[in-house]
Amino acid sequence: MKEKELLEQMCGYALEMSLKKGAKQARVTAFRDVSNGLTVLNDSLERIQNAVESALMIHLFVEGRFGTCSTNRTDPAGIDKLLDDAIASVRLLAPDNCRTLVPSVLRYEGSPLYSAHRGEIGTAIKKSRVFDCVASVHGKNPSLISVTADYADYRRWVHMVDSAGLNCTSEETWYSLSAECSVRGKGDKRPSDWNYMGGIKPGAIGIGSEAPCRCAVNALERALAKRDPRKTASGKYSVIVENRVASTLLGPVIEAMSGNALQQQNSFLLNKLGERVASPVLTLTDDPHRKGNPGYRLFDSEGMATVKRTIIDAGRLNLYFLNTYYANKMKMNPTISSPSLLLLKGGHGDVASLAGLMKNGIFVTGFNGGNCNTATGDFSYGIEGFFVQDGQIAYPINEMVMTGNMTDLWNQLTAAGNDALTTSSWQIPSLLFESIEFAGI
Amino acid sequence: MDLTTVNEMDSQKLLNLALRKGGDYADLYFEQSSFHEILLRDGEVNVAGTHNEGGLGIRVVKGQNTGYAFTESSLPSDREEAAKTASYIADGTVTVKTPVRIATLKLPDRYRILSPWEEVSPQEKMPFLYQLNDRIFSADKRVKKVTARLSDSTSRITFYNSLGVHCTDVRPLASLSVTCLMENNGQRETATASRSFRMGGEFLQPDLIEELAAEIIARTSFLFRARQPVGGEMPVVMAAGSSGILLHEAVGHAFEADFVRKNMSIFSDKMGKRICPKGITVIDDGTIPGNRGSLNVDDEGVPGQKTYMVTDGILTSFLHDRISARFFQVEPTGNGRRESFRHMPLPRMRTTYMENGTDPEKELIASVKKGLYVDSFSNGQVQIGAGDFTFYVKSGYLIENGKLTRPIKDTNIIGNGPQTLARITDVANNGIIDNGTWTCGKEQSCAVSCGMPSVLISSLTVGGHV
Repeated sequence: MKEKELLEQMCGYALEMSLKKGAKQARVTAFRDVSNGLTVLNDSLERIQNAVESALMIHLFVEGRFGTCSTNRTDPAGIDKLLDDAIASVRLLAPDNCRTLVPSVLRYEGSPLYSAHRGEIGTAIKKSRVFDCVASVHGKNPSLISVTADYADYRRWVHMVDSAGLNCTSEETWYSLSAECSVRGKGDKRPSDWNYMGGIKPGAIGIGSEAPCRCAVNALERALAKRDPRKTASGKYSVIVENRVASTLLGPVIEAMSGNALQQQNSFLLNKLGERVASPVLTLTDDPHRKGNPGYRLFDSEGMATVKRTIIDAGRLNLYFLNTYYANKMKMNPTISSPSLLLLKGGHGDVASLAGLMKNGIFVTGFNGGNCNTATGDFSYGIEGFFVQDGQIAYPINEMVMTGNMTDLWNQLTAAGNDALTTSSWQIPSLLFESIEFAGI
Repeated sequence: MDLTTVNEMDSQKLLNLALRKGGDYADLYFEQSSFHEILLRDGEVNVAGTHNEGGLGIRVVKGQNTGYAFTESSLPSDREEAAKTASYIADGTVTVKTPVRIATLKLPDRYRILSPWEEVSPQEKMPFLYQLNDRIFSADKRVKKVTARLSDSTSRITFYNSLGVHCTDVRPLASLSVTCLMENNGQRETATASRSFRMGGEFLQPDLIEELAAEIIARTSFLFRARQPVGGEMPVVMAAGSSGILLHEAVGHAFEADFVRKNMSIFSDKMGKRICPKGITVIDDGTIPGNRGSLNVDDEGVPGQKTYMVTDGILTSFLHDRISARFFQVEPTGNGRRESFRHMPLPRMRTTYMENGTDPEKELIASVKKGLYVDSFSNGQVQIGAGDFTFYVKSGYLIENGKLTRPIKDTNIIGNGPQTLARITDVANNGIIDNGTWTCGKEQSCAVSCGMPSVLISSLTVGGHV
C-alpha cells in the first residue's frame, strides 16, 4: 500500500477510535512531507539532506472539553495508546462550550486541491543547478570571502477528516534556490547578503532553462553595496521599505487582527472593525484562489472554506481573522483562522520611482531585530539600508533604529510600488512612508 | 515501541552501511520524546495537549561535508535505507569497518529526575495554574486577562558513532510561562514572565507561583508609567540576569565555529587576541545542574562541559562541534546540538554568561550622567559577519545625573559586537543566570539560557523618539 493511502487509512482509524474511546466529536489531520536539500559552500558540496516525515494531529471534543494530541507513529497500537492518554487528560479539564467543529455551511466540500509539480527531479539536475549558482560568483571577485547556495524542495500532502463529514485533501510542492555572499568590508567586518528564488514548479528556480543563474550574482552585488556603512543623524525621515522586507511591518497588523489577540484584548485593533485604521493608500486583500501562487489554498487548518476578501479597504478595517473558537468566544461570525495569500495594492512602480517621489530619506533593505507591542502598537526595529539624496542612493547605513506606533505608521503610508515578489504568500510591494523617527548619531 | 531501543550489532550494521561510500565518520541518533501541555485562559484550564514522536537521525561526515537522513520508522529496512542515503555525501566505494568494541560513556547526572513527568497527571498540574491565576488576579484590580501555560517534555536519546562511542541520556524540560494583561483608564498593557528547568515533576513548587506572580504583576504595572525614550547614542547600564542576551547575540553566535570555519565570523582571525578589556571572562556552560541549557552529553556523543570563550579579555575558545574541532585540530567542546532527530547537529550555545566584576551595581549607575538602564529583553538577533547585533528592551529607566529616573519601555538597542565588547567600562559583582524560556533559533530551535552581572557600556544606539 502506498504511504499516502496508508496515512489516509490511519486518519480514518484515528477518527473512528477517537469516537469509540469517548470523544463526542473529533478532527484528524494527516501530514506527509518529503523534502530534499543540498548546500554548496564555495566549490564543494557541504551538505545533503533527505527526509520523509509523517504525522497525525488529532483534535478531541470530549464531554464538552477539548484537547489535542499528535504523533508520528502511524500504527494502530501507537494511535490507540496516544488516544487513551489524551482522552483521559481531556476528561479532567474544565468544560469549554466554545470549542466546536467548523459549521457545515462554512466547511470546504470541494475536490482535492492540487498545487504541485508532477514528477521528480534527479539529484544530478539539482546538484548542477546549485553548483551553477555558486560558480557564477566564486573566484570572480577579490572581495568575496565565501558563497553558500542552498537548493531545497518539498512535497507536502495533507488529508483532513472530521466526525461531521469533513473530508479534504491537498498536495503542494515548492522548489527554492537561495544564495548568500560574504565579502570583505572595512576593518574586520564581513558584510553579507542573500537572494532567494522559489515557486511550485522547478522552472521557478531556472531548472530547464538555459539562462544563467543570477541568484548569487544578485546576492554578491547587494553585499558589496553594503560595505563601509555609517550612521546618519537622528531625525524624522521619509522612508522606503523594500518589497522583500516590507512584510515585517505588516506582521504586527495581521497579528492584531487575529482572534487570539482580540479575544485576549491584546490588540491595538480591538473594537476598530469598520473604522479607518490606515492611510487611504492601504488596500489589502486576501485572495486564496490564485492558483500557482504560494498561499493558494481552498481550506484552512480547521477545514473552513477560504474566500476572497478585502481585509483593509482604502484604510478601513473590514475583517478580523476568527476561527470557530474565537468567533464563538467573541459571539461573532467565523471568518478564517489566518490569511492565505495577501496582496497589497500598489501602483507606483519600483524602488527607483518611489525614490523619485521621496527625493531625500532612508531606503530600508533589512530589519535587524526589534519588536512591536501588540497591545499598544508601539514598535522599534533595527534597520540597515541606504541614505537617499535627490532620489539617488548616496551611501549605505546601518546601526540605526526605526521607532513609532503601528497605527501612526500605516497612516503615514503615501505610496505603494508594484514590485511585490511572487515568491511569498504575502505579496507586499516596496512601500513609501513619510515622517518616521530614526535614531542614529 | 521505544524507538531508542537498539542493540550493538544492529547499530554496527547501520554504521557500516552509512560509511559504505568512504565517509570519515558516522553517527546514529535515536530519539523518543513525549510532550505534554496544559493551558489556562479566562480562568479555566481548558486545553490539554499530549504529543509523542520518535525516530533515528543518521549522519555521515566526509571532510567538512555532511550527509544526513532520518527515518521515523523502526523497521530495519527503513533504517538501512536512511543510512544508505546519508552515505552519498562521500562518493567513493571504500567500505570502512567500524570498531568492534563500543565503549559506553559514563556521564554525570545534571538533571536528576525525582518525579518522572509520565507519572504526573493533569490533576496534579492543574491546581498549579489555578493558584497562579488566583494569585495574580488578587494582587491587582487592573488585571483583566491571564494566560498561563505549563509544559513538560522528556526525551530519551541513544547514540552510537563510528569512533566506538555509545551513550544514553534522558532529558527532561519543564516550562511555565504566564502572560498578564492589565487595563487602566482605557490603557492596556501586557507582559510575560517564565521559568524553565531540566527537572521532573518536582518543578511544581509553591514558591514558583509566588515568584512568577510577583514578577508578572511588577512588570505589567511598570508599563503604565513607562514611555518610549528619546533615541540616540548613549551609555547603557545592562542590568544583571537577562542582559546575558547581549553575550548570546553580540559575541556568542560569532564564536560558533561553523561560522568561523567558513570565515564568515567577524572574530574569525581573533583567536588568542584581546577582544575586550582585562577582567572580562565569558563562559558557555553545559554543566549547571538543572539549568535549561545544560547537557550531560551533547548530540554527537561529547560530554557536556564548561567552555571559557573569553578569559580576562582574550579570546580563548570557539564553540565546536566534531566537524569544526577536526578542522581546527582541537577537542570538541560539547556544543554539537540539534533540535531533534530530524536535524543534523551544529555548534550551538548552552548557558552563556559573564563572570562577576568587583563593583556594586549602584556605582555603575552613579557614573552615568545621561543614559539608560535596561532590565528586560526579547528578540535578539545578530549579523555574524558585520557583527551588528540588536535586542528589544521591554523595560528600563533613564539615568540622569547618576540616578534612575523615568521608566522606559519598547525600544530596540543596536550595536556592533567587537565595538561593544571594547566599550564595556565596568562590570558589577551581581551576576545572575536568567531562568526564563530562552530559545535560540539558529536554523533549528534549541533550549538555552544566559546570564550576566550588570555592565556599563559607554555607548550604544538606542531607538526612540527624536
